[in-house]
Amino acid sequence: MARRKSKFSLLMWLLFSGITGSGITGYLKPNIPIIGPMIANFTDKSQGLVTGSQNLLTESASGLLNNQASGSYGGSAVAGRLTSARQPSRGQQQGAVQPTTAAGSHGNGNLLIASFNIQVLGQSKISKPGMKELLAHVIRQFDLVAIQEVRAKADNVIPDLVTTVNSNGSRYNFVIGPRLGRSNSKEQYTYVFNTNTVEHDPSSVGTVNDPKDLLHREPFVTRFRARTQSPAQAFTFWMVNIHTDPDEVPEEVDALADVFEVMQKARADEDDVILLGDLNASEKQLGRLGRLPGMQWTVSGVTTNTRKNKAYDNILFQGQATREYTGRWGVYDLERNLGLSREQALQVSDHLPVWAEFRVWEAPPPTSSVGRPSLYN
Amino acid sequence: MNSAMTLQQLVHGSPSERATAAEYLAHQGTDAAYAASQLTAACSDTESVSDWAIAALEQLGPPPSSAIDLLASLAQSEKTLTAYWAVTLLGRAGPDAAFHQQVLVTLLLNSKDLAVQEKAAWSLGRMHADSSEATRALQQAAQSPETRLSRVAAKALQQT
Repeated sequence: MARRKSKFSLLMWLLFSGITGSGITGYLKPNIPIIGPMIANFTDKSQGLVTGSQNLLTESASGLLNNQASGSYGGSAVAGRLTSARQPSRGQQQGAVQPTTAAGSHGNGNLLIASFNIQVLGQSKISKPGMKELLAHVIRQFDLVAIQEVRAKADNVIPDLVTTVNSNGSRYNFVIGPRLGRSNSKEQYTYVFNTNTVEHDPSSVGTVNDPKDLLHREPFVTRFRARTQSPAQAFTFWMVNIHTDPDEVPEEVDALADVFEVMQKARADEDDVILLGDLNASEKQLGRLGRLPGMQWTVSGVTTNTRKNKAYDNILFQGQATREYTGRWGVYDLERNLGLSREQALQVSDHLPVWAEFRVWEAPPPTSSVGRPSLYN
Repeated sequence: MNSAMTLQQLVHGSPSERATAAEYLAHQGTDAAYAASQLTAACSDTESVSDWAIAALEQLGPPPSSAIDLLASLAQSEKTLTAYWAVTLLGRAGPDAAFHQQVLVTLLLNSKDLAVQEKAAWSLGRMHADSSEATRALQQAAQSPETRLSRVAAKALQQT
């Protein structure tokens, strides 16, 4: 069985590396771009809008946004975040750190990364009075939000939302994936991120290739880096955004174990992979994904849906590799933080955002940390 | 909004009322199961209705047994999304829907939509279909060059 898994991992890796255009050497030579085929297609259709090496999907928000600055990560970028974000009071599993009761980073220099399934995020939702503003407010609580369930035939939904996010002077941007799904009903993944605190690598954006069609909506991956005064020492990481099919959760979480291992090997210079999204599974239902060596999940012992009776969403990484995790995580309670009724909160989404905090500086390799005073114990 | 009023709006309301009803049901999780067949039919409505209907169907779990006959009928719809979701719900119903396995056999063999064929194979496995026709159809599908269809059919054969 282990041999079969190993062969499958290798196959997925080869396909991911080969078909994304980077070739296997692309992962060994960071300068060779990694572009997912579907993203490349999207880009091709819009040639002429793209300048230089800039990513179209980022560029699509230009005009709404300032160009990404090359300045340092600034604490002021997190000003205005809510202070009342609540976290669960119980739940520890396999090394997950006990959650605290504090809220957003508020200028403490750390990154807040969230996952948010915004149910049927489309034109009808953002057209509701006050909805864009409310969603914008939630997004501004975090530096980087992986969003699932963008369902829109038009392309304006996320640009419009990001414009609203930036209406208070914030400088968020986004990357968005292709429409995915087996039936005629398609969904997109997107990342919305604060360009003052985090930047993405335009050459490392893509959709995981899934030749065996194991996943209903293949993960959307993008590599990010915390903005600091010393980029060479900044925390870099892959984000793997996933929304599983509720009818095939056991099969899909097993397949995600292979995706995770593929992404761990995708670049020789990147050991941090953060897989997050709507898994339609609690921490007890993670299958082979949860059994990967050292796998750590942040959300445990709590519910993540708005009706507060199911745990669907999580943020996972390999604990020894991603020692940038501070141990702080939470479920952002829309009712409590925004003063909404249950019905009003459900209008926003049937899911709550889940989040985790990471340091902005790359942790030294575990072997070299011995004897060194470090933030990363 | 009570159940009767919600169904009334979903089936007979204006486009706006239908969308509102579908959205309301999408907020109810498994409590929306009573509307399984109406939501399945609504998958072929306008986009603003069908998006919410699909969202509701994704989370409502198995349909009530009272909806199974109607779902079997909807599975034969020429509207692909309605057929897809009807087949999915029949599969979620499991052995309770086995009486309708021939409908799924026909879809597995003849549907022009690969996603419907795949779901039909999946559903036959879930309902432990035991007819010779089901076994033959699954054996044939297991030889399909379509990777997922063949895999799902092979797995279904292990369940029948």
